[in-house]
Amino acid sequence: MDIGQIWDLIILSPMINVLIVVSGYLFNNFGLAIIVLTIIVNILTLPLTLKQINAMKAMQELQPKIAELQKKHGKDRVKMQQEQMQLLKESGASPAGCMVPMLVQIPIWISLFQSIIRLVAVTPEGFLNLARHLYSSWPQVFSLVPLESKFLWLDLSAPNFILAILVGGGMWLQQKMSTPVATDPRQQATTRMMLWMMPLMFAFICLNLPSGLALFWVTSSVIRIVLQYYMTGWGGLFPAAAGKPVGRDKRYMRRITQVEEKPLDYADVGADIGDDVGADIVESPTPPKEGAAGGGYPERLKMLKPLPKRGKHHRRKRR
Amino acid sequence: MSSRRLIGKILLLLVILLVLISGISAFGCAPRTGAVARGWSGGVIAEDTLFLGSMGGKLVAIDVSSRNRRWPDVPFEMEQSGGFGCAPTSAPVPIYGTPAVSEDLVYVAGYNGEVHAINTKTGEERWVYPRKGELEPVVGGLIAAYNKVYIGSSDGKLYALNASTGDREWEFETGGQIWSTPSIGGDTLYIGSFDKKLYALGAADGSKKWEFQTEGTIAATPLVYDNTVYIGSFDRYLYALNATGGGLRWKFLAQNWFWASPVAYDGIVYAGSLDGKVYALKTENGDKMAEFDLGSPVISSPVLVGSSIIVATEEGQIYSLDTGDYQKRQLTNLEEEIHAPLFVSDGVIYIHSDKDTLYAVDAQSGETLWSLSLKS
Repeated sequence: MDIGQIWDLIILSPMINVLIVVSGYLFNNFGLAIIVLTIIVNILTLPLTLKQINAMKAMQELQPKIAELQKKHGKDRVKMQQEQMQLLKESGASPAGCMVPMLVQIPIWISLFQSIIRLVAVTPEGFLNLARHLYSSWPQVFSLVPLESKFLWLDLSAPNFILAILVGGGMWLQQKMSTPVATDPRQQATTRMMLWMMPLMFAFICLNLPSGLALFWVTSSVIRIVLQYYMTGWGGLFPAAAGKPVGRDKRYMRRITQVEEKPLDYADVGADIGDDVGADIVESPTPPKEGAAGGGYPERLKMLKPLPKRGKHHRRKRR
Repeated sequence: MSSRRLIGKILLLLVILLVLISGISAFGCAPRTGAVARGWSGGVIAEDTLFLGSMGGKLVAIDVSSRNRRWPDVPFEMEQSGGFGCAPTSAPVPIYGTPAVSEDLVYVAGYNGEVHAINTKTGEERWVYPRKGELEPVVGGLIAAYNKVYIGSSDGKLYALNASTGDREWEFETGGQIWSTPSIGGDTLYIGSFDKKLYALGAADGSKKWEFQTEGTIAATPLVYDNTVYIGSFDRYLYALNATGGGLRWKFLAQNWFWASPVAYDGIVYAGSLDGKVYALKTENGDKMAEFDLGSPVISSPVLVGSSIIVATEEGQIYSLDTGDYQKRQLTNLEEEIHAPLFVSDGVIYIHSDKDTLYAVDAQSGETLWSLSLKS
């Protein structure tokens, strides 16, 4: 059995059959099935996605410090690398933290992509190719194929201009939100190029692929944009608003305000933090930096600050 | 700009370029909707001339004795959207359906939705249908009878054309695409559709006599034998229906789709499935007499030679199934994929492989008598 057969057996065939069954439960609507399965896969990979976003954010926050190191030890590369490693070690951030979750997710996305392209087959060759993947123990999949390729105004087996534009737009938005505002002009140029290059490339590719795939990309983009907003706010899209708290941060700030407004009773506050606020603070993906404007613990609460689960000690232990 | 940064940028551009190139090479300069259509026409032999559609989109006429072309191949071309910014190009028309011959004309239909009538002696075109534009892709073959040519199209319609002039005499609309080749039994035409139904129509005027609902898409060609219509469906059942009223006589469940048309002999129907097996079923009640595990999907329709059923698997193995003792015998292994239906004449089996090679194989010994590349 070669690697292709193993891939088909373990990943591709299950994905194809599940997509067909989901479509069957959704009134034989393949478009809805693509959307729902994309959402399901996103939910299943959510921990990895959150890990990736957090890792990216941590890396972004280190950028100014890394830039400082570059300035300081620009000529001494060995020293600079040592310092950089030390900085990463101390902060607990790791470039691998961004890459590993992404690498784990890639096979899932590729299989979803391949499933869709097989299911929108229109040629006899495409149909025969699909037949190889159907489970003989799932009788319903045989009756459901070929899936209905009409969805809204779309023919999911043909390219669609509007969806291609949406793919490019969604990707641009997502990248813009997740990319930090670069201070170095040279870095700015590179960032700008990447910001436009990828969305344009994907939009261009979508102009030549079945719109079922574009629907999958648009759905994924929307989910990622929502997650990104929830975790980091508008980020690079509206730099002025980037510091404003969002999602869990908002709840955290609200709770802090409530605590501050209460008469200071250490026992009471401590219990409160342990039960409720503590949960918010500990798990908040975007804890405000100490001393930063608008963030951090109020001075009078610092003494009560619980040790963060993903704090310095935890990271050190992990490394 | 430091040289390091410059190298970095160049590397980045190279990566982007590589991604683009790999994207284009993976998807090609053609609209992608799954696998690319290539065609797999079967052939027909009339007056010692073999007609078939090549994978290069040409109608080929071969003198069976000398293996020379009767006339230069007739090419069919269609405009194809370039995709990925490439300019539209002229591409050969994939031909799936087996041509049909009637009197001095050979009829052939292509994936571009055009039906052509070509003079069998000269290779000159007599007529084309439609006169302007084209139909949706034609995947099934056509049949000629009652001075008409019957053809189904992916637009869901079955067309009856005047065999001499190409004028449309009538059309019948089904609820889905038609990839099935029509079959005729007496004055009734049988055709399957993607709407999961088999239709029985009056061959003269296209009036519907009956329809039968299955649970799956029908792409196979029906077989009419002994007042029974046998049709395989994507729901994995082979149905035996009363040819007169359309009532179900029996049905048989396989493990995958039925794509190939079945063959019947001496009270037994032989049906090949994509599950890699050929089932021998009693025409009377559908009882399974034997199953032949060939280890590879059967897409190509088998043929009857004497009392043996000759079957080709997708992987290129050719088997002879004995209808007497239900033993299988491997005739040969062409080691080329086969999707086109087999055809036979004078004890010789003709096989059109996916490498666009035509093989003539002796049905008894399995010896390859000759082979001819149809690429030109």
